Amino acid sequence: MAELIQQVATGLSTGSLYAIFALALVLIYRSTRVVNFSQGQMAMFTTFVAWSLLNWGLHFWFAFFLTLLIAGVMGALVEKALMRPVENAPSLNAVILTLGLLTLFGGLALRIWAGEPKTFPSPGVFEGAPLTLGPATISRPNIGVFCTSVLIMVAIYMLFNYTKVGLAMRGAAQNRVASQLVGVRVGRMLALGWALSAMVGAVAGMLLAPTLYLSPSMMMGVLLFGFAAAVLGGLDSPLGAIVGGLVLGVTQNLAGTYIGSDIDIAVAFLAIILVLIVRPTGLFGKQAIGSD
Amino acid sequence: MTDVLPRPRALLLILALVILAVFPYLYTWPFFGSFLDPFRTFQATRFAIWLIILMGLNLLTGYSGQISLGHGAFIAVGAYIAAILMNDYSVPVFAAVLAAGVLTGLVGFLIGIPALRLSGPYLAIATLALVIVLPNIIKHRLVEDWTGGVMGISLSTSHVPGSLEGMTTDYQWIYYTCMVPAVIMTAMAWSVTRSRVGRAFIALRDSKLGAQQMGIDVSLYRMTAFGLCALYAGTGGALYVYTAGYLGPATFDIGISLTMLVMIVLGGLASILGTIFAAIMMTVRIDFVDFVIGMIPFGDRIGIDTSRDALFGLLLILAIIFTPTGVAGSIREGRERREARRVTGTGAPPSRLARLFRRKA
Repeated sequence: MAELIQQVATGLSTGSLYAIFALALVLIYRSTRVVNFSQGQMAMFTTFVAWSLLNWGLHFWFAFFLTLLIAGVMGALVEKALMRPVENAPSLNAVILTLGLLTLFGGLALRIWAGEPKTFPSPGVFEGAPLTLGPATISRPNIGVFCTSVLIMVAIYMLFNYTKVGLAMRGAAQNRVASQLVGVRVGRMLALGWALSAMVGAVAGMLLAPTLYLSPSMMMGVLLFGFAAAVLGGLDSPLGAIVGGLVLGVTQNLAGTYIGSDIDIAVAFLAIILVLIVRPTGLFGKQAIGSD
Repeated sequence: MTDVLPRPRALLLILALVILAVFPYLYTWPFFGSFLDPFRTFQATRFAIWLIILMGLNLLTGYSGQISLGHGAFIAVGAYIAAILMNDYSVPVFAAVLAAGVLTGLVGFLIGIPALRLSGPYLAIATLALVIVLPNIIKHRLVEDWTGGVMGISLSTSHVPGSLEGMTTDYQWIYYTCMVPAVIMTAMAWSVTRSRVGRAFIALRDSKLGAQQMGIDVSLYRMTAFGLCALYAGTGGALYVYTAGYLGPATFDIGISLTMLVMIVLGGLASILGTIFAAIMMTVRIDFVDFVIGMIPFGDRIGIDTSRDALFGLLLILAIIFTPTGVAGSIREGRERREARRVTGTGAPPSRLARLFRRKA
C-alpha cells in the first residue's frame, strides 16, 4: 500500500511536467488553432539561452525573467514571420511548418551549444530535504513543478475567461472575420498566443533542465507525453491539460511498477487511445459545432 | 475528368515506363554510363518502395482528409509479416509481399473503426500512439520468438532466383521486384482516385455533411481509406525488408512517420504526380541537403557542416511557405495560369514565388 501511494506521488510529479507542456500546447491551440509540434524544441532552445545568460554571470532570477522576455519575442516573431504566410493555406501546412521549426530549432541548438549535456542550476527555493507526506516522499523540485503547473493553469484560465484580451484571443481563433468586424486586432492576438505559449514552454524547460541536463534532445520524450496529455485532457481545456498530464504520469508510473518497466509508455498511449474512443475530444474538450 | 490522357502526356508516360523498364541496364550503355552507376539502381529501388508507401499515405491524408502520423506502424506490420513468412516458413517473396499487403490492409481497415470517431489533431495523436506502442509490442516476450525482440530479424540477402541466374545481378533483380509492384500500384491508385471510391473520399474530405447528403456511407469509406492506406504501407514495408535484409523494432520510428507526412505535403496532396515527387524527395532528402551545403559559398569556413539539421528545417519552412500546394500543385497552378493568360489575353495573378522574384527586380 505504501508503495502504491509512493508510486502515485512520483507519478503526480512526473505528470505535472507533462502538464506544463500540455498547457503550452493548449494555450497555442486555443489562441491560433494550431498544434505546435516545435513546442519542445523551442523550449529547449530558450533554456539554452537561459544557460548562456547564467554563464555570463547573471543572477538566476534576472536570467529567468530575461529568458521569458526573449522567449516571448521569439514566439511572436515566429508567428509574424513564418506562421502568417501559411494562415490561409490548408491547415496541414501549419502542421508541416511547425515540424520544420522542430528540425530548425534542434539543428540550431546543436550548432550553437554542441557537446556535453550541460548542468542547469535549480532555483534556491527548491533546495532542501525532500518532504514527507504520510507514507510518500516527494522532492522539493517536484513540488515546485507541481505548484508551477497549477499556477500557470489558473493564470491561463483567468486570462481566457476573465480578461478582454483573453476573450479577443478566443474570438480571433474561433472566427477571424467576425473578430475583425468587432475591432479585434487578429494578427496581434495570434502573435500574443505564440508569445505566451513560448513563455510557458520556457518555464517548463528551465524547470526540467536541472533534472534532465541540458541537451538538444532533452525535450523529445517529455514533448510526446505533453502532447498525449493535452489530447487526453482536451486540446482546448487548461484544466484538461493538468488532469491529462497527471493521469498520464500516474498511469505510466503504475504500469512501470506493476506491469513492467519496458512497457510503461505503451500502456500510457494505449490508455489514450481508449479514452479517445470513448471521448473523441478528450476528457474536457468541447466538440466544435459544425466541424467535421 | 477525361478518361483518356491528352496525347503529349500519354507519350511522356510511355517514355517514363520505357526508362523505368531498362533503367538498371542503362549504366552499361556508353552515354548513360557517364552519370549512372549501380548505386543509382539502388536509389531507384528505394524510390519504388517509398512511392508505394507514400501513395498509401496520400490516399488517406490527401484524398480522404484523415491525418495520420502513424504510417510507420502500418509499414512495420507489413514488414514483420513478410519477414516472418519468408524467414520461418520459407514463403516465396511474391506470396509473402502479397500476404503482407492484404493482412496489413485488413489491420488498417479494422483500425479505421475506432478512428471513425476521431478527427483533426485527435486522430493525429491517436495514430502517433500506434507508432509509439507498436515497438513495445514487437519487443514483448510473448512474440519474441517470431519478431526477434530487440535484435530484430535478419534475412539472408535477396538473390536472383535460380532460373534467371546469369541474366541479372542481385541489384537489378531487386530493382524489378520493387519497381513492378510500384508501377502497378501507382496505376491502381490512379484508377481508384478517379473512380466512385476516389470521388467519395474527396467528397467526405471536403464536406462530411455534403457527402452524406449524396448517399455516401461515410463510415465505410473512411474505413476503406484506412484499409487502402495500410495495404500500400504493408506492401511497401514487405518490399523494404526484402531489399534491406534487416528489420528491427525501431526501423520505422516517429521521425520517419513525420517525415513522410511532410514529404507528401511538399510533393502535393491528393495528387498521383505529387506522390511521385514526394517519393523522389524522400529518397534523396539527405543527399539534397548535402548538395545545398556544397552550394553555399565559403560554407566550410563558417562550419556549415554542423548546421545540416538547421538547414533541412529551414528548407522545409521555405518550401511550405512558397509552394503551399506542393510541387504538383505549383505545376498545376502554373499550367492554369498560362491557360488563363492564353484565353483572356491578360495576366492572371502571379504565384507567391513569382511575386517574390518580381519584388526583387
